[in-house]
Amino acid sequence: MKTSKTAEKITYPEYGVDSRYKSIDKKLSDGENLMEARLKRLRGLSRKQIIKAKLLQLKLKMEDYVKQPVYEEYNFFTSFLSDYIDTIYEKRVMFAKDINITPVSLSQILNNHREPKEEFMFRLMLHSELTFKSICEFQKRTWYQVYYHEKICDTMANQNEWKPTEKKNVKIKNAVLK
Amino acid sequence: MYITEVKNGNKYEIEIIPVDPTDLKSITKEKYFFNWKLEKDYYLYKLLIKGHSEILGLVSFEINPDEWRIHIRLLSVSTQNKGKGKHYERIVGNLLTFISKMAIKEFAELACVSLKPKGVIAQHYIDEYGMNITGSTLSLELVEILDIIQRYDI
Repeated sequence: MKTSKTAEKITYPEYGVDSRYKSIDKKLSDGENLMEARLKRLRGLSRKQIIKAKLLQLKLKMEDYVKQPVYEEYNFFTSFLSDYIDTIYEKRVMFAKDINITPVSLSQILNNHREPKEEFMFRLMLHSELTFKSICEFQKRTWYQVYYHEKICDTMANQNEWKPTEKKNVKIKNAVLK
Repeated sequence: MYITEVKNGNKYEIEIIPVDPTDLKSITKEKYFFNWKLEKDYYLYKLLIKGHSEILGLVSFEINPDEWRIHIRLLSVSTQNKGKGKHYERIVGNLLTFISKMAIKEFAELACVSLKPKGVIAQHYIDEYGMNITGSTLSLELVEILDIIQRYDI
């Protein structure tokens, strides 16, 4: 006979789930079976669904990146930008065409040989707005946030390089502080 | 992401953040159904209304990168949010969406969220969240993940 406590749990199944495994063997065999079934289902995914997943992944990574300081020698902005372009275009030159810039300037930005100009950022924001429209909410400002977040993190991480030189040029002798 | 107060339909923005070790004292089996102290070595997150401290839901999970999968170990709402007299709706859906987003962030189109509920509970998860069934394992894969994100991540 079921106790009233068990009966209540069954009537209201959303109280919770205990999915812990007691046996490693069972865990491994369940994992193998699941993988086999998933691989079959993965084969049925459309290209559009895969692109959606990659764009969603990119958005989540960018949102995560701007939330905390990241002091790494890595070009996050251009890495995210490359991922964005490579997800939705077969050739980068086609993206350059779609936002009306030359392939050379795009290449220079992607290879960190040139900073993106304001027009580039505007067009990138508008482009992303169109791309993400049917997928998920995407804040246009995210690109700017990533760009400036990287600048801030780099600047703060490299203080030892710029501070000694620049310190000589700075004083507050003429400020009205007294 | 939000939850809805059952009595008046008011919506409250929520946040899902890691459980602080100091929280564990107040996370009792009486209030959250399981012994959550055993989960302290796993990923362990709590759901709160933004700006409030009361824990409304909990989830513990492990990430298995080799299988592009996040396996939910334990998931529960607080006792006040179970059954007919519950205060808020959408707690479980939000927790599943949170894990789904994490899986997408890690594994993109290969993402998978699995759990292993029993009996009637399993059927509920299949009906409510469209979970796939493989033996006794239920899973959210790309199609279901995109769907749940669209339903809850607003």
